[in-house]
Order: sequence, then C-alpha cells, then structure tokens
Amino acid sequence: MSVAVPRNAFPLVVTAVAFTFLGLFFIYPLYRVFGASFLDASGTNLTLHNYAKVVSSTFYRSSVINSLTIGVLATLATTLISAPLAFCVARMPIGGKTALLSLAVLPLVLPSFVSAYALLLLFGRAGIVTSALESLGVPVGSIYGTPGIVLVYVLTLYPYVLLPTVAGLKALDVSVEEASQNLGASRWRTFWSVTFPIVIPSILAGALLVFIETLENFGVPFVLAEDKPIMAVEAFKLFVGETDANPASAGVLGVLLVCSTALVVIIQRRFLGRRRFATGARRSPPLIEAGAGWRAIATAYCWAVVLTSLVPFFAVIVISFMEYRGPVLHPHFSLENFAELFRRSMRPLENTLLLATLAAFGAAILGVPIGYVATRFRTRLTGILDIVATMPFAVAGTILGIGLIISFNSGWLVLTGGWLILVIAYVVRKLPFTVRASSAILHQIDPSLEEASVNLGVSPMKTFAQLMVPLMLGGIVGGMVLTWVAVASELSATVVLYSGQWQTLTVVMFQALEGTGAGLAAATASLLIFFTVLPVALVYRLLRRYEMSLL
Amino acid sequence: MTAVTIDRVSRSFGSVQAVHDVSLDIRDGEFFTLLGPSGCGKTTLLRMIAGFCELDAGTISFGGRRIDTLPPHRRNTGMVFQNYAIFPNFTVGGNVGYGLRARNVSPAQITARVATALKLVHLDGYDTRWPHQLSGGQLQRVAIARALVIEPEVLLLDEPLSNLDAQLRVEMRGEIRQLQQTLGITAIYVTHDQEEALSISDRIAVMRAGTLEQVDKPDAVYRYSATPFVAEFMGTTNLLSGKVSRREGSHVVLTAGKTEFHMHTNAAPMTDTVGFCLRPEALRIVADRSAVPDGWASLETQILRVEFLGALTRVETRLADGEMIRIAVLDHPVDTLAIGTTLTLAYDPRRVTELKTS
Repeated sequence: MSVAVPRNAFPLVVTAVAFTFLGLFFIYPLYRVFGASFLDASGTNLTLHNYAKVVSSTFYRSSVINSLTIGVLATLATTLISAPLAFCVARMPIGGKTALLSLAVLPLVLPSFVSAYALLLLFGRAGIVTSALESLGVPVGSIYGTPGIVLVYVLTLYPYVLLPTVAGLKALDVSVEEASQNLGASRWRTFWSVTFPIVIPSILAGALLVFIETLENFGVPFVLAEDKPIMAVEAFKLFVGETDANPASAGVLGVLLVCSTALVVIIQRRFLGRRRFATGARRSPPLIEAGAGWRAIATAYCWAVVLTSLVPFFAVIVISFMEYRGPVLHPHFSLENFAELFRRSMRPLENTLLLATLAAFGAAILGVPIGYVATRFRTRLTGILDIVATMPFAVAGTILGIGLIISFNSGWLVLTGGWLILVIAYVVRKLPFTVRASSAILHQIDPSLEEASVNLGVSPMKTFAQLMVPLMLGGIVGGMVLTWVAVASELSATVVLYSGQWQTLTVVMFQALEGTGAGLAAATASLLIFFTVLPVALVYRLLRRYEMSLL
Repeated sequence: MTAVTIDRVSRSFGSVQAVHDVSLDIRDGEFFTLLGPSGCGKTTLLRMIAGFCELDAGTISFGGRRIDTLPPHRRNTGMVFQNYAIFPNFTVGGNVGYGLRARNVSPAQITARVATALKLVHLDGYDTRWPHQLSGGQLQRVAIARALVIEPEVLLLDEPLSNLDAQLRVEMRGEIRQLQQTLGITAIYVTHDQEEALSISDRIAVMRAGTLEQVDKPDAVYRYSATPFVAEFMGTTNLLSGKVSRREGSHVVLTAGKTEFHMHTNAAPMTDTVGFCLRPEALRIVADRSAVPDGWASLETQILRVEFLGALTRVETRLADGEMIRIAVLDHPVDTLAIGTTLTLAYDPRRVTELKTS
C-alpha cells in the first residue's frame, strides 16, 4: 500500500529534476526530429513533402517493410524457441540447470553486433566455414539479409522471452494445477487450459521486448543487411551522409521508427496490462517425472539452444588470437591483433571504460530516486514520470542521437563534439534499467520501514538517503553493473554522436567492419566480450538475489 | 502526554469514503481503541494522526495544538506497525536509538535511554543483536521500545499483535496495557479483534464504513451496544425486534412473534416496534418456572444444536414461534443438553438492550 504523503517536498523535487532532464535530453530532441521531418529544405516552412518523398521512394518504403518483417519473423521464431525452453527449464529435470541458466543470461549482456560479425567471419562470403565447405564442393546459402539478421536476433534475444516465462511458470502456485486435476482434467488438458493461459502474459511481455529490440537495433543489420534497406540504418546513413546529408528524410524514418515501437508498447499496455494473473505462489509446482527419453530430449534441446547462441562469441575470441595477413586468416596463435589495436591508440579502451562508468553513475543517481518516487509516492504526476522514464527503451539509439545533435549543435547549449553528449545519451537510454531495478527492489522492501523512519522524526529525503539507499544498495549496484555493461557495448547512439578523440571500442569495431581490418575488429570484439562478461560474472550472485529482470 | 482532538475529519479514496465526518476527543493518558471490521476506516484514521494519509476535511490537534498541517516526521508520535517495520540493517540498539539520533541526542544519552527502553520491554542486553536473530514476539518488543524511547506525545499502535500466535498475543496485550499505564501515555490502538479491544482499552470507538457507531467504555460497548451492528460485532448475540404491548412497572413488554420479552427501561420506547438484543450468556437455564429469580423473566425453548467449546458451551434453541435463541453456559455437563429437550430460560430484564436502528 502506498498513500500520498502530505506536504512532502521530496517527491516534488525528484519529479522536477527528472522531468527537466528528460524534457531537455529526451523529449526535446525527439520533438526536434519530429519537427525536422515536417520542415522543407529552407527549414522554415511546414510541409508534408518529406513524408511524400520517403513514402514514394521504393527504397525507403522497403526499409520500413523490411524492418517490420524481420521484427515479426524474429519475434515469432524467438517465442517459438524460448517458450518450450522456458517450460523445460522450469518444469523438467534438466542436467546442469544452474549452469544452463547462468549461460542463458549471457546473450543479454554480450553485444549483439559482435554475434553478427562472428557469423560473417564464419559463414560470410569469405567466411572460414564457407571457404572450407566450398573447397570441399559443398554449396553454402547466403546469410546476408533476412535469414542472417533473424538468426542473430533469435540467438541474442531469446533470453528476453525465456527469463520472464520461467519466472511466470515458477510464480504459478501448485494448488492451481492440482485443483484442475482434482476436478478431472488430465495433465495435458491442465497444461493447455490452466498453466499455459496463466503464463501467456509473461511470454507476450518478453516477445514485445524482442520486437522493439529488433526494430531499434543498428549494429546487426549494419553488419549483415548488405544492400537490404533497414530503417534504423537508413536513418543513420541519411543523417551522416557525406554527399547528401538529409536530416529531414532521416527525421521521417525516425518518426516512423519511434511510432512503430510506441504503437507496440501502447498495444501491450492496453491488452496486457489488465491480463495479469497473480496466483500468489506459496509453492511452485514440482518437476514433471518424465521418462529417461524425454529427459534426454529436453536436456539436449536446452543445451543446444544455449550453446549455439554462445558459439559466435566463442568463435570471435578464438579468431582474435589468430594471425591475419591482410584479409586472409592463418591458423597460428598470435597476439598481433591486440598489439595492433593498442599500437594505434589506447584511447578507445579508456573512453569506453570512462564513459560507461560515468553513465552508470549518472543513470543510478537519476534513476534510483525516480524509481523510488514512482513506486512509493503514487500520484498522477509520478505515474507520468514512470512512463516517460521507461520510454527511452522504445526509442532507437540512432534516432535519439540524431535528435541530440539537431538540438545541441548550436544555440544556448552546445554539447556536440564532447564526451558529455555521449554520457547524456547513455543515461537517457539506460535510465529504464535503473528505474526498473530500483522499483523491483522496492517491491521487496515493506513501505512501513520508511513510515517507521519518518514517524521517528527523519524527513522523507533523509530517510531515502540514510535508510533506503543502504537497504537497496545490492540492487542498485546490480543495476549499475548492468548499465555499465550495456553502455560499454552501445553502438547505435555512439556511432551518431562520437567525435574525434571520443571514439569507443564499439566505434573502432564499426570502422574496422567498414574497412578490411578483420583481425582488428575481432580483437576489439574480444575486448568487448571480456569487459561485458567480467563485471556480470563478478556480481552474478547479487543479480540472482535480486532476481533482476534485465530489461 | 496529550489529549487528542479529532474534529470532523473526512477522507475518501476515489469513490470510497474511507473516513466520513469523524469527531473524537481522546483524553490525556487514555488507552483508546479504534475497533471495526477490515475496511471500516480505522487504519486510515490512525494513519491520518501519524501523517501518512492526507485529510480531505477536518482538523487533528494534540493538546489544542493543530498537527494535521505538520509533515509526519515533525508530529512526535510513536507508531508501532503491524509487521513491526524493524530496520534490518540496524542492530536492536540501532533500531531503538534511530529516533533519538534524528533528534540529535548526544551519544551517551542515546546509550542510556536505549538501555532503559529495552529494560522496559524486558530485552535488557539485546542491543547488539540483529533483527534476524529475534523471534516475532521479541521484534514486537523492539518496535514498542523504539516507539516509546522518543517520548512521543501519542503512542499509535496499528494491529500490533495480529502477526503473533494466540498465546503470545494474550501475553503481549497485557504487557502493552501495563506499560501504557506505567508511563501514563496517551495510546491509540487499532484492532479488528473485539476481545483484544475489550481487554486492553479505557474506551473503544466501534467504526463501520468510515463512521463511528459507538464510543464508550468496554463494558458499555458490550453490554449496552447502541446499534445492531455493534451488538453483533462485539460478540454472539440474539438480535430481536418486538412490538411494544404494555408497561409493567419498570418493564416494557415486547411481543416478538408469539413470545413476550421484558425490557427494563424507565424511558418510554421511541417507537412502536423496538429492536433489542439479549446476550446468550444473560440467559440462564433453570429447572422450571418456579426457579426463575425474583424480578426476572423467562422463556421456553427447545434445543436445536449444541456446540461444546471447553469452558463454554453454546446452545442454539428455538422458541415455539420458530425464532432462534442462542445461549451460552459455563461449565455445564453437555449430556444434559440432548437435542429436542425443552428448556426454561431465565433472564434479567436489565440485560435486554434497546438498539438504535443503524
């Protein structure tokens, strides 16, 4: 229960600061993108010409269709693979389940474009596997375009469906299934009429995240799309195009992209928001006593999915330790790729570490109070704040980056060209992480603790700082590590916003992809993998304890 | 130590009137209980006093000083929460000293006052223990010590015993009452348990749907319930209604169905038809009409059901006209209460209470 506390300045202060920040660095930039899409070349007259131009162009029209098609296909495939996987994990006796679950979390923190890049190295036109097979006379199908992109999405995004579905299945009280069987329904019938409908909201919530992620992802299509136009990539190309930079058309694509994701979120809130089945689990249902055959099949299936998703990353690490002569890979162990990388400059590595750390602190300092106020002081205003603060996850990084540049390239506040604009973009993008993390921990802390503190004479603001922050610390640190990791592998906003000396590791990789430096790219990817897996491994126990649902 | 004045206080949540136009005068040093079923507004009223719930209308004052405009942390109330709300990141001593630190009391003073408070709740020497090492009853004592050590003007208790097992509950309510008496502090206690309320309070306010039904001393609320709701809520009873047929001295004779009831009253009944209650334990089984004490009235009923509860035996009986009459007898051999047996029941007409229609 949370009841509004009278005459309390604390929630108002937090709300005011949060709205100022989000208004300035999230709403306003989006508004500028929106505005740019409606202005003509002179930038003064309102026009629908830009929309007409994009819609009438076969190329851009197909970019919209391609994005949506790939999104739908990837979401369907991910759901079809993950839902049975979740059921096996939650209800079947699987060998090595703890290890399996730990490994299944990894794709969420590993940069997905590294996976795409690995696929390219292995199965691309000049890929290692392709060459090997072709020399044996076996033809290999193309992984460029839709099939490759969908495959990478499935392999990197399946935990988004897996984790909430497992949680949903575990939150089911055993008595619900027992009641069904007691009333005469068979096990099979019980599953389809009781168990499955109860976890549908969890499955759909995960599927929604997958869909949004596929729409806004920049790196994967950039690596694998080749000539196939994709919205997030085309918007970027239109914006930074050297010969024909066209912010208006980029704006149109941006608006279409944001509208697509926003539409999905609205549909989800409409139809899913009310369908929440809390059964108040006292005791989770027991594991199904399956025969040895079924157990073997389930175990094999689970491990196959999880291991396959990790193969690309493993491959990249191996390749990064091999010798490249020009574009040709030689099977010798070598540290030359790393040496080359560091010879060029240590700055990208330092930048990544510095920017990720700043962003993690920034997102925590802003996000934790927002989550606190939105959870504990429920008013209409804090409700709006909660929605606005979680919206950035539905906005493509490329579009936010474009908006920030349009907004802060000139005028009273110039931010472009420095590190601050990168940190701001990261904080905005990852704010939903810390807001959600903060409210998730708070749901495990009884509100009467704060009331007791206030009742004993400590003001709400001091209560938050002195009592709640220490109590929430484990969860806050977990959220910060996740933010740190997500920022370290951020590409879509970085690639728009970075400049000169503020290159990050992801940018180095991005540039290496465009050129021929496969060895360099692999070494950078290995470094990225190291810096994302290590922190998560260090705080893994902490994350498990707070059952952190990775956004 | 403070008198608490609640004046015409209201609060609604959406379309639900949680508290509606409630006024109460709680005396200095009084143990005052808000009693009612869940959703009656008792907790909302308590939270309004603590400052955790805003008022739509009305005022609350401590000793003539208006406090409903103060933020909760400046009201100087000590609250004991239903789930104790013990800070898990502080030791017992840290918990009890929490409010003192907020008041910038010197460390030496804090140590001394924490020790005194812990002694008061029989937890001497527990100050370095951690909350997770304590039992439910001990946590409860810590919560009480923490609320008392700040020397609050008013002690607020929100169903503090509902998480304890039955025996401990009885033990703790005795201790709470004794502590309150020793310190002479004003205490406001919220509960839905009528027995608890009766045993612990100086006065009880029975609440229903956001309004006060009756405010009185425990025995008055029980024996002279003002409304059918209070009569039923305070314990098993016989709710009847009868037509006023005549007056016999200090009695009014009421006809309910084919049965006549005698009610002691000096005032004239307000209406032709009167609702009244007669507690089961006020009915006594007698051998026959000749054994009915002087000045008492009697009934003849037939036993329908017998429920043996240990010290007490509850018997459901039926009057000739079919109306149900419940009786409760202490220490009565159950085998004399065969179903179908006809009983003669005697009662003192003073125990028949007229009810306001509510």
